[in-house]
Amino acid sequence: MSKKIQNTPGSSKKSIIQRLGGQNVVVLLIVLALLAFFSITSPNFRKYSTILSILDYSYYITLIAIGVTFPLITGGVDLSIGTGLICYSLVGGYLVVYQGWPVWLGMIICVLAGAVIGLLNGILIGIMNLPPFLATLCTMMMTRGLGSISSKGLGIPWPTAGTEGGWFRTIFKLNIGDLKLPLGFLWILLLVALMSFVLNHTKTGRYIIAVGCNKEATRLSGINIKTVYIKAYIISGIFAGLASIAYSAIFASVYPGTGAGFELEGIGGAIIGGVSMTGGVGSITGTLLGVFIICILKTGLPFIGLQANWQQIITGIVLITAVLIDLNRNKKKLIR
Amino acid sequence: MGDLILTMKGIDKTFPGVHALDNVDFELYRGEVHALMGENGAGKSTLMKVLTGIYKKDSGTITYDGNVVEFTSPREAQQAGIVIVHQELNFLGHLTVAQNIFIGREYMKGKKIDDARMIEEAAKLFQRMHVNIDPTEKMSNLTVGKQQMCEIAKAISHDAKIIVFDEPTAALTETEVEELFDIIRDLKKKDIGIIYITHRMDEVKVITDRVSVMRDGAYVGTLISKDSTKNDIINLMVGRVIYEDPKTKSMVPEGAPVVLKVENLNAGRFVQNVSFELRKGEILGFAGLMGSGRTETARAIFGADPKDSGDIYINGNKVDIKSPKDAVNNGIGYLSEDRKRYGIVVQRDVAENSTMACLDNFINGIFIDKKKEDSETAKYVESLAIKTPSVDQLVVDLSGGNQQKVVLTKWLVRNCDILIFDEPTRGIDVGAKSDIYKLMNELVKEGKSIIMISSELPEVLRMSDRIVVMCEGRKSGELSIEEATQEKIMHLATMGN
Amino acid sequence: MYQIKQNPLIKKIGFNRIVLCLVLLIMYGFFALFAKNFVSYNRLLSAMNYAYFLGFLALGVTFVIATGGIDFSIGPVMFCAAIMSGYLLTHYKWPLWVCLITSIVIGMLYGTLNGYLVAYKDVPSFITSMAIMQMSKGIASVFTKAQSVSWPQLAQENGWYRNLIKIKVGNTYLPIGLFILLGVAIICSIVLNKTKIGRYFLCLGSNKEAVRLSGVDVKKWQMLAYIICGTMAGIAAIFFVAAYTTVQPGYGDQYNNEAIAGCVMGGTSMAGGLASISGTFIGVMIISILQEGILAIGLNKNYQLVITGLIVIVAVYLDVMSRRRKN
Repeated sequence: MSKKIQNTPGSSKKSIIQRLGGQNVVVLLIVLALLAFFSITSPNFRKYSTILSILDYSYYITLIAIGVTFPLITGGVDLSIGTGLICYSLVGGYLVVYQGWPVWLGMIICVLAGAVIGLLNGILIGIMNLPPFLATLCTMMMTRGLGSISSKGLGIPWPTAGTEGGWFRTIFKLNIGDLKLPLGFLWILLLVALMSFVLNHTKTGRYIIAVGCNKEATRLSGINIKTVYIKAYIISGIFAGLASIAYSAIFASVYPGTGAGFELEGIGGAIIGGVSMTGGVGSITGTLLGVFIICILKTGLPFIGLQANWQQIITGIVLITAVLIDLNRNKKKLIR
Repeated sequence: MGDLILTMKGIDKTFPGVHALDNVDFELYRGEVHALMGENGAGKSTLMKVLTGIYKKDSGTITYDGNVVEFTSPREAQQAGIVIVHQELNFLGHLTVAQNIFIGREYMKGKKIDDARMIEEAAKLFQRMHVNIDPTEKMSNLTVGKQQMCEIAKAISHDAKIIVFDEPTAALTETEVEELFDIIRDLKKKDIGIIYITHRMDEVKVITDRVSVMRDGAYVGTLISKDSTKNDIINLMVGRVIYEDPKTKSMVPEGAPVVLKVENLNAGRFVQNVSFELRKGEILGFAGLMGSGRTETARAIFGADPKDSGDIYINGNKVDIKSPKDAVNNGIGYLSEDRKRYGIVVQRDVAENSTMACLDNFINGIFIDKKKEDSETAKYVESLAIKTPSVDQLVVDLSGGNQQKVVLTKWLVRNCDILIFDEPTRGIDVGAKSDIYKLMNELVKEGKSIIMISSELPEVLRMSDRIVVMCEGRKSGELSIEEATQEKIMHLATMGN
Repeated sequence: MYQIKQNPLIKKIGFNRIVLCLVLLIMYGFFALFAKNFVSYNRLLSAMNYAYFLGFLALGVTFVIATGGIDFSIGPVMFCAAIMSGYLLTHYKWPLWVCLITSIVIGMLYGTLNGYLVAYKDVPSFITSMAIMQMSKGIASVFTKAQSVSWPQLAQENGWYRNLIKIKVGNTYLPIGLFILLGVAIICSIVLNKTKIGRYFLCLGSNKEAVRLSGVDVKKWQMLAYIICGTMAGIAAIFFVAAYTTVQPGYGDQYNNEAIAGCVMGGTSMAGGLASISGTFIGVMIISILQEGILAIGLNKNYQLVITGLIVIVAVYLDVMSRRRKN
């Protein structure tokens, strides 16, 4: 029996790939493979503008995916993020476009609205003990209705670039002369870093993981699990709010009644990126990479002659495949 | 040995229908390892739950560290320095060792969790314990032994004055047990009092100072470990009054055919090379301690869990049982030890539960013949004396004993020839118990065969015609009823490895 | 002799139904007071148009919920079936009766895929059905190249299928659809309560492992629930087009929610093991009158989304609470 202690981190025998997070490397390779595939099959794909358009699409999905990673890690799910982001954008946009509120205030309203719905989800799940998928299904319906009601059924054209208040679009895409800079990607990276920190180095994140591992053991450690759930869903809501800003900035107009299905792209991205449906496992960087698979497919498929509607089919297949892989992984662990 | 750190005096606790603790006394000195022994259900865990505030005692006093205390939650007890290392470890598998040890009381550096310090502190703990565990390793990647070390480290980090070990060696390998004992000796030196719940006789001499024995919720006596023999302890444990005489000879007729033959059955860690035969009209007792692999054997035979290898013969024909469906088709019925999870369908009524295993017999055209179903069920409700207002009563509203009878009814309606009863009388009242005994005797008279798994030795001796004893996943012996005694069974069940 | 008595649960379900009927009446009274011209036969017929397809969806999903699962794909699957079979009818000129059968078969296929993944691959039902919802939307769009499909009007060739919901007798319409829906509901109720299928559904919804250990092939039965559900979505498609003729790809998900709302309102427990077809039927009527009423008092469809959401929350919360009290 060895009585020596090796306590310096990194002394244990782990391969470099494991250190980086095995799944991340695999997902990154898939991202690169997809890029290579589309580049080879379609010459038009190999353009700066394509990269820009992949990034444009990626912002709002990445944001909701980062957000939904937290409820997923607790072992729950948030289905309200897709219709939610449209709802928040409609609410904020209506105030800006039809009530003359300043754009910055509209943006804050977007995030606040998200936080409120997140809080509602958290209360329904954490305190009232409703099953997460049902509670958030209800808020999904409600945000869809509320969005349309608050914009009076109208599409909302957030201010366009160049007009008053149009500056907010440059948050995501900065034009310097002819050069278009995907500034949004920078914010995404910063948020990924921030939320990785929250997940891995704060009590909030630690307890979110703990609840996902074993709810009862966490409770017995003296942790108030109700607030843990509420926090997770508020984070998800706030990110849906941020996503609504990104969505408003990228698209000319926002239409009521849309948004259903975005949540699947977000959840799918997170699961591909290594978040486990059974809770307790997941990383923000993984989620980012997972989302990119979906975004590249979304942008790339038209280049090889598949119309936009194929995306829905592909999203469904990708989602089921990701869950099957996740289930398989867990099964193997059990046998071991 | 230091002074007294814990005195429990006259502890009494009653649950509806059960006197779980009857005026129990218990003492623990600083730096003492005090074994707590007794059969399953003797009240050891209940006593510990009263100590740590999970249960509220009805009467009696607990004096801890000089003060009379009454904890209302395990957390409170923990903060006061009483920690349990549970048999079933409750950890957060996806977090690291250090993160687990300090969960709920993380070191902070502003808003940031100071993981570096937690790793350092955890490493120090392990150093003190002389074990080699990487604090940055994920908890789920460790062996069970290592996981347990982490729980102990957590206990120490709480500045525990008393650590309760609940069967700590049940899942450990030999070297791991050695490591654990080293740690316990170390804890002793630091004047920590240790309560050590165990079933293993050999450990008592090796590691404990004194041993207290409980039986049927009452304190029986305390022995000095080094002065007492294994037999002394066993005598205390089994010295329970048997209200009815044990069977003195087998009731199975001479030359009764073998109905079930199991050969070299293997299924995971808990079922290793198990072979036995069951004869027509026989009650075959399966004795052994908790975790000895009896239930696992039964589940593997029944097809509830996959088996690795081994052959099963029914009436001399080899059968291939891959699922419970195959088993039921071959005339085997299985009464699970955990009836809430595996036995009853609580939200449905008595009749529906009763016909579950052979619904096809109650189909008339495309409809379920409700009349036939109800009358058939009513027959058993009457003969088994199931206390229910009607056969349409939801099973959730019945008492434990009556729920058990409903599960029994299910297999009786199915008319199985081979019945496996896993702890058929666990958690049910005396009246229902004797009903079930009566029924079992009637069944074998009709020519059915029964495998009865039981942790209660008097029950085993009273009912069985032959007894198989299991220990750590293996069959450790087989006794005819004529030669079997509680002591002999206990010896076989505690052979150790 | 042993006596077989009425049990309190049946009384309780009976009580629930009475409450539901009262809710229905009060709601109708409310709209009668506050909406103009609400009390008319035509209004009722229009509400029934909505109730038919929703009823089939809700009846189907009741079986799935009884087994402890959920199916979020029924609305889009219904649309997919209506669009694909309609496209075959209008574009490829398939005979009408073949198209109607095709619609049902398409629903059944989706249900089979759904059930297979849930029962044999252990994928959580809400994820599977979400993915299938997305796929069915995509497949419908791809099939028709994203065009909407208009089924023929009554007067046109092949228009007779519209008689499935109402038939003109003299000067009034006879609501055939209501009779068909009632008939199917009665069959469903018999299947759920009087046959082996329903028995196994309810039992495995309550405790799957106990049923498996009774020697029942639970996977097979679990899958069957989803197949029935998908098939009902295929039938619902026929009644949808009979009422509204035009279907657009990419929509349909709000109907999942309304169908599920009808179920949980009717006393079917989301935790499985407890289901009531008559409750579902009344629940569907409530939702249909509600949607007609909301339009009649001058509000739009969106208010209904919010109200239905609230209804589901309340219904599920009551279910969670009553379960907790029991334990």
